[in-house]
Amino acid sequence: MRLRAAVLVAMLGAVALLAVAGGAIAAQQPSLVIGLLLPGPKNDAGYNQSFYDAVQEVKANIPGVQLIVAEYVADAEAESTMETMIQQGAKMILPCGFNFQYPALAVAEKHSDVVFMHPGGWEVRGNFSNYYATTQLDMYLMGVAAGMMTKTNKLGFIVGMPQGYMLGDCNAFHLGARAVNPKVETHLVFTFSWGDTTKEAAAAQALLDQGCDVITQHLDSPIAVIQTVEAAGAYTIGFMSLDSQKYAPKGWITGLGLTWGAYLTQSAQAVIDGTWHTGFVRQGLAGGFTQIAPFGSAVPDRVKQFILALATGYKAGLIDTFIGPVKDQAGVVRIAAGEVWGNDKMGDFDWLVEGIVGTPQ
Amino acid sequence: MVRALKRVGETLRKRWGLGAVRYTVILIVALLAYGLVLLIAGKDPIKAYVDTFTFTFGSAYGFSELLVRMTPLLLTAVAVALPSRLGLINVGGEGQLYMGAWLATWGAITFVSLPQAAFIPLLILLGFVGGGTWAAIAGFFRARGWVNETITTLLMNYVAPLIVGFFIYGAWRSRVPGASAFPQSATFPPAARLPRFFGTRVHLGLVLALVALGIFWFMLERTKWGLKMRAIGGNPEAARRLGMRLGLYFVVVMFIAGGIAGLAGMAEVSGLHWRLSAGFSPGYGFVGFLISWLSGGSAIGIVTMSFVLAIVFAGGSLLQITQGVPFAAVNVLMALILFAVLIRPRLVRRKA
Amino acid sequence: MTWSLVLGIVSGTIMYGAPLLYATLGEVVGQRAGMVNLGLEGILLVGASVGLAASVVTGSPWAGIAAAGIAGCLFNLVYAFLVVSRKANQLASGLALMFLGTGLSAMIGKAYIGRGITGLARYQVPGISSLPGITRTMFSYDLLVYLAAPVAVVVWWLIFRTRWGLGLRAVGESPSAAFAAGRRVSWAEYQAAMFCGLMSGIAGAHLSVALARTWTEGMTGGRGFIAVALVIFSKWHPLRAIVGALVFGGAVTVGLQLQASGSTISPFVLNMIPYVLTLGILLIWGGARRLVAPAALGRVYFGEE
Repeated sequence: MRLRAAVLVAMLGAVALLAVAGGAIAAQQPSLVIGLLLPGPKNDAGYNQSFYDAVQEVKANIPGVQLIVAEYVADAEAESTMETMIQQGAKMILPCGFNFQYPALAVAEKHSDVVFMHPGGWEVRGNFSNYYATTQLDMYLMGVAAGMMTKTNKLGFIVGMPQGYMLGDCNAFHLGARAVNPKVETHLVFTFSWGDTTKEAAAAQALLDQGCDVITQHLDSPIAVIQTVEAAGAYTIGFMSLDSQKYAPKGWITGLGLTWGAYLTQSAQAVIDGTWHTGFVRQGLAGGFTQIAPFGSAVPDRVKQFILALATGYKAGLIDTFIGPVKDQAGVVRIAAGEVWGNDKMGDFDWLVEGIVGTPQ
Repeated sequence: MVRALKRVGETLRKRWGLGAVRYTVILIVALLAYGLVLLIAGKDPIKAYVDTFTFTFGSAYGFSELLVRMTPLLLTAVAVALPSRLGLINVGGEGQLYMGAWLATWGAITFVSLPQAAFIPLLILLGFVGGGTWAAIAGFFRARGWVNETITTLLMNYVAPLIVGFFIYGAWRSRVPGASAFPQSATFPPAARLPRFFGTRVHLGLVLALVALGIFWFMLERTKWGLKMRAIGGNPEAARRLGMRLGLYFVVVMFIAGGIAGLAGMAEVSGLHWRLSAGFSPGYGFVGFLISWLSGGSAIGIVTMSFVLAIVFAGGSLLQITQGVPFAAVNVLMALILFAVLIRPRLVRRKA
Repeated sequence: MTWSLVLGIVSGTIMYGAPLLYATLGEVVGQRAGMVNLGLEGILLVGASVGLAASVVTGSPWAGIAAAGIAGCLFNLVYAFLVVSRKANQLASGLALMFLGTGLSAMIGKAYIGRGITGLARYQVPGISSLPGITRTMFSYDLLVYLAAPVAVVVWWLIFRTRWGLGLRAVGESPSAAFAAGRRVSWAEYQAAMFCGLMSGIAGAHLSVALARTWTEGMTGGRGFIAVALVIFSKWHPLRAIVGALVFGGAVTVGLQLQASGSTISPFVLNMIPYVLTLGILLIWGGARRLVAPAALGRVYFGEE
């Protein structure tokens, strides 16, 4: 018994010593410590990478910024991971997973001195802001490109899980394609998993087998899909990370990149300056949250010119995506004539536009 | 090296008994081996261990998080240990956990206006029944001699999350106006959330787990019933000849075991997350199997190993941040701990 | 249901059934020797990560497949050592292998996340393109898909028509009798485990190198456990395993192809079918007492020390 007590005392002593030593080492103060939580790997050429690249940009732009990055954060681990980051000095937390919203909110309520910025949710508090790109509008341009490039008039769209925003992406994509090519159909497939890459490849295969020749996706990592499409000699439209172009040297058309770097740099600077304020921010091409990726070699010049011209109109606010009348698959008018749906409606989709083959559940 | 370890083992056994020796030696061997793995991967094992230790024991918060992590592990471990006394192998803790959470969620989002005093017992009941019924199916098949429970529970692990998925993508999907419909249930009303203690995330689930463990220990060690279970586990044929109704034992014990795993699921959704989402369990059911196996089914062993694995998980979460070790690497450490037991060096040989 | 949908389903079923078949064949051989290996999932993951890593490093997908086969073989030796030499519990050893494979593959694969490869070349079934409704991508498979069924026949031949197979089955039925008959029980078990590892390693690499052409953590998605179930589904018979692999491979493809052509069945319900079906078949066979499991399956043989 006495031995056990002695061991315990020794252990506690060691802990105390280490804590002191640790404090001494961390003398040099960084200007801001940013904690980034990713649900997947930082170099997935997709969703996760778009955020990782963005914080690297922040680090390059603001001297003294220190990053704490946690990859593959499970939902159940999110809260304690954020607490750990805060213990390590993080004053700005970027919980970049849809499911991290509530864990982050719980942590935010305890740490009013830490700024939280969640992408894609809806909750807003004094130290908890929300931001995302208006991909539901911008995908229209991608649809236009796809509609101009397809030969079979069948487009494929692969989505991880059916959620309102993603249905919106697909709707915008289809509306864009249909605007330039009335005969076009968009086939929508859900994999109902994040990260089962074999299944994603199988989904791409299924679309190819059904005759689709331009395929895009809203998945965490597009690599499996793009490579399957490329190997079959079909066209790819990228989404999320601009980096995904390298997987489709032949079949790349263009893509919509999520580019948070400038916005997060500005936000981080505001946190340092003490001028940060909360908000619910949705921005698209004009605000720099999204960018059109470089065009692939297969794209003829007239298509490039057309898309770029459209993009200019978009940025200037001259063009909109969801202009009534828009009918759903059953032919019911969902957006009345004369009505225009904007950012605030983008999460509301539980229906698909006429001409999309697939189900909205 | 081996001889030195044996000598240490001998001394420890004289002082503290065999159990302590077993766990200490297993842990030392596993930690050394994992240190080697980290070293090969180009990481600093000493820093890793020191960081983990200071983080988990260095602050009240870190320590409270260990208790939070321990809660589902204790329950899923008991869910495996209990039927193992009967000779039943329950690999289905994960599925039972999901079904417990599923039925509890149904209660939480249906009877929204109940007061907390009625709500919490109801959730406990529903969690228990959800997991228990799921496991009793396997017990029933086994009792009839149709198919053994190992393969049934294993297969049913994969069905349960699909049932949860079916509901949270369908009928239970929460709709927040102006926002995307997320695949998760509505938020539980405050009365349907397990109380938390001392401003930490430690919740009533821990108490439930300890009570379940206490009952488990008492039943098996101090009652006639426990003795009978042992008799059946030791020699089912003889027990059958003595007129014991094995089938009934199989079904009832699997029901209770599944119920306990179901409580783990209920405690996770109602104590921590307050809503049901698809991936709420990072494999607690499987880790529970591991813990039960490591502890040889003893109550003290379950507490000890749950605590150790809580540290392992906390460490995994931390090392990812401090040294970029993938969280999945904790699986390597868990495997090494298990190997250390399975290889059964002489000084820690199991009785069975 | 349109004709092109039917063709798409058949085509996809064969492609995605192939890796399941390789893994199942490995497990059939292991279980014939009396060893239940729940760690198949771990071997698949190791095979997938090593396969992709080796493909990237050497630039040759076939080198990746070979490396994965060897890695799987060596990795399963860990299981064999525990189960055969240390007489450890098979379920626990299998789970240990699963945990180890999950962790190791994450560490091996980390450097190769986001690395694309061209993968194995695909060849369309000769002459099939002239049939009506066939698109360019249907029935276009890599060599491993073409080889899957023939390999199953070879495994059947090995198990039922060779002295090696006879020895293997003898060990699985009764190790003590096999030992009394002068067979080297441990050696036979080790061989079976190595074969199981080899096949599972190849199966894992087929997923990463040929089908997904990329590595992600946990990308096998429970296929290892499915293969274990498939062994029982196919009653420990390599040829019936072909049917089993097609049923399971089909479940995934049917869901995706149905969606791609606009039909609706809840994918959650669809994904349950393989498991429920297996359970149902087990129940029918179990109820009729016609389960033909190797008699010594799962038992620890202490006789030979």
